[in-house]
Amino acid sequence: MTRIMQAVTGLTAIHAVAASPTFEQDGLCFAAGSDGLRVSTDGGSTWRDAYATFGLREPLTTTALALSPAFAQDRAQRANSDRTIFAGAVGGVLRSHDDGKTWRIAGLPTPPPFVTALAVSPHYLEDGLVFAGTMEDGVLRSWDRGDSWAAWNFGLLDLNVYALALSPDFAHDDTLYVGVESGVFRSSNGGRAWRETAFPMECAPVLSLAISSNFAANGVIFAGTEASGLWISADRGVTWRTVSGWETSGPINALFLAPTCAQQPSILAVTNVALCLSHDGGASWQVQRSAELTGVTCAAAPAGVQPGAQVLLGTGDGRVLVCSL
Amino acid sequence: MSNNLRLPPVFQPATYCAFMAGADRIIATIRPTLGPVARTVAIQRPLDHRGPEVLDNGGVIAKRIIQLPDYRADIGAMFVRDMLWRLQEQEGDGTATAAVLFQMTFNEGVRLVTAGLNARRLQRFLEEGIEVILDELRRQTVFPGAAPVSDAHHLSQVAFTVCQDRELSDLLGEIFSIVGGYGRLEIREGSSRGLEREYVEGIYWERGLLSRQMVADPQRLRSELEDAAIVLSDLHIQEPQQILPVLVTAFQSGLKRLLIVADEIADSALSLLFANNKPDHMQILAVKTPGFGREQQADFLVDAAVLCGGRPFLRVAGDTFRSIRSEDFGRARRVWADLRSFGLVGGMGNPRQVRRHLAALRAAHAETDDLTLRSKLHERIGRLMSGSATLRVGGVTVREIEARKALAERTAAAVRGAMQEGVVPGGGAALLACRPALQRRIDATNDPEARAAYQILLRAVAEPLRTIVANAGYDPSDALAEVRMAGTGYGFDVLTGRVTEMCTAGIADPVNVVKAATYAGLTSAALALTIDVMVHRTEQPSHATPPPPARRKRL
Repeated sequence: MTRIMQAVTGLTAIHAVAASPTFEQDGLCFAAGSDGLRVSTDGGSTWRDAYATFGLREPLTTTALALSPAFAQDRAQRANSDRTIFAGAVGGVLRSHDDGKTWRIAGLPTPPPFVTALAVSPHYLEDGLVFAGTMEDGVLRSWDRGDSWAAWNFGLLDLNVYALALSPDFAHDDTLYVGVESGVFRSSNGGRAWRETAFPMECAPVLSLAISSNFAANGVIFAGTEASGLWISADRGVTWRTVSGWETSGPINALFLAPTCAQQPSILAVTNVALCLSHDGGASWQVQRSAELTGVTCAAAPAGVQPGAQVLLGTGDGRVLVCSL
Repeated sequence: MSNNLRLPPVFQPATYCAFMAGADRIIATIRPTLGPVARTVAIQRPLDHRGPEVLDNGGVIAKRIIQLPDYRADIGAMFVRDMLWRLQEQEGDGTATAAVLFQMTFNEGVRLVTAGLNARRLQRFLEEGIEVILDELRRQTVFPGAAPVSDAHHLSQVAFTVCQDRELSDLLGEIFSIVGGYGRLEIREGSSRGLEREYVEGIYWERGLLSRQMVADPQRLRSELEDAAIVLSDLHIQEPQQILPVLVTAFQSGLKRLLIVADEIADSALSLLFANNKPDHMQILAVKTPGFGREQQADFLVDAAVLCGGRPFLRVAGDTFRSIRSEDFGRARRVWADLRSFGLVGGMGNPRQVRRHLAALRAAHAETDDLTLRSKLHERIGRLMSGSATLRVGGVTVREIEARKALAERTAAAVRGAMQEGVVPGGGAALLACRPALQRRIDATNDPEARAAYQILLRAVAEPLRTIVANAGYDPSDALAEVRMAGTGYGFDVLTGRVTEMCTAGIADPVNVVKAATYAGLTSAALALTIDVMVHRTEQPSHATPPPPARRKRL
């Protein structure tokens, strides 16, 4: 792993980062934090206020980001592609259709929820489904591309959501998972009802989730915890075990899997002090630590986990690092 | 002889004949109701001049048969009726299956006992054989969809095998896929012609505001608070001074929205609340503690304290509000109350404690044999699952609504059972698949009573399938032969007239119902075989009252 660049965004703390899937070509990326949302179009070298045209009197704390899965897959088709980005704030979800130039806000049900995670359906262009995980208010769901939101928390016994992950085969299996204060919950009907999984409560909270791209066949899902390491389920979340090769301490703030159907996929786990990469499904890890990595709170892997792919890291002191795997 | 024993006792050989005549009479009325192509039974109403009641449920039919004219036969009929009534109370279904199992076992048993076998030894071996059948049923059990979560499609198929009403089964499938096996479902009469469902987020209890003056929205007759603090108690507040510490502590802690739960608040104390209930100062709602009696109120307080955090103030512990501190307040994201009920959304108790509490309640529910306690625990679990559904059953006539509501309740109970304990191949196929295990027992013994008992059970387990097929107008012997040829898991689908793999075709029965019906029908028949004398009382206790509270045997 090599560091490419470190930049100061002007934010006090970064809660979420996101980047275009074609980041290496177009350099488009976002950083959300307590002072608002910043956008960069030069690979993170310079940043500007994404809410500048919004006319806000006070900085709007932004806590989660998600891009449409169809976001600029091909630079040549950029004019026709979906350019939607969602940003979660306290009490609302903002949406932009033009790389963050202009925004519309949709209010969430009161009392104002604190959005901690956003997830967009893999088939967003057809079904228009977007999910928002919140602190204290569970999961909110939008059927209409983020225009309106409603809570669907039947069976979700823990409403403190830290992570959301949708099955790659969501159009067929309607399955999604949430990582919460006390474990992992699963919905197999598109978020309309939730059921507990056997994730051990004493090892929670679960801060990050990643689902195998071959989930329909292998049912593999990883869960990163605050203090109990990395966990894996190979049966769609019914049973869980620790990943045997994981030896790094600290909270796992982000998890990414290689978009391949390999039996033992490459995994990237981001803790608050280290980048951990495994190419054998978690059996062995390459761990990179450095002073620059201290205080990493969030990450984005726009091109997935593969050799040479770039990864964005956001830190608690407002820096964004761009690294190459 | 006392006055109530004026009729002569019945001795053998008349006992068996009389008992069999009575049992056969009541079972003959229930037999046509077994299966998806069942027929109905019309029973005249004794107390009014309305038309006859048209029934398709064995348990309800049995309840309606009060007495047979022949006092000797009546004892047999009432024996069967009591067994079916208990089964209906316990599982809500399976009575027709139990009835035909009883009839086959008892009639065969009588034939063998009169031929010289020992009734007591026969009973013992029958009971051993019942355990063999129950083991085989357990072995065949599968969960609809992926256990423990079940999808709407599989659940609606389970519902359809019970109710044969596509609209109702689809709705129940959807509802249970959302609220879950323990979820709260209320089935009410609706005002429209069809079925309607409604989902309510959060939890609510059937206790409303203590005063109409607390209604903030006069159009909806409802008040709502956001980020509310909650005081949980079952105290009787007689004086304003008793509740003053709550207001002072809330004010000092910066809590501006307050829900007070108390068993009673006198008018003078309410006046203090009204005086402080100003939108810019403090919003206060007061509701009565839910539950009838101390036990139910204590259950509410325990559940609510886990859900919202905070400390419940208990009369029985001598608690007062004088010692209240800011950490004694529970919290919820949203609270609402109207004149009939109140509810909360997003209780802010410790989620780990909530899950542990729920797990403990579920374990208690699974452990207990007491049906009343099971029902209470089920209700508490359903509430804590943070959501409920209401199914409104409409129709053109009152009779249609009543019948469809009863059907919906019966089907809902069966679907719950399927979600909690699983399903077996339906249409009598699961019982038929127990035959090889029984045959192995026959082959392994030379004891005449043991062989006879297993032979009886071998015939009995085929009887539900034979009856279902016959009720649909097919030849039972032909169907039975085809099913035997096809193998385990296969049965006869009477809707298509073909042998099919039942679970794949979506024809499945809740295993708890099948096991309970098997156990009730067969053990009752085995017991009835030991009856030698029947004594009839002329002054009978009322048969309109249900049997004493039942206990659910864990099978």
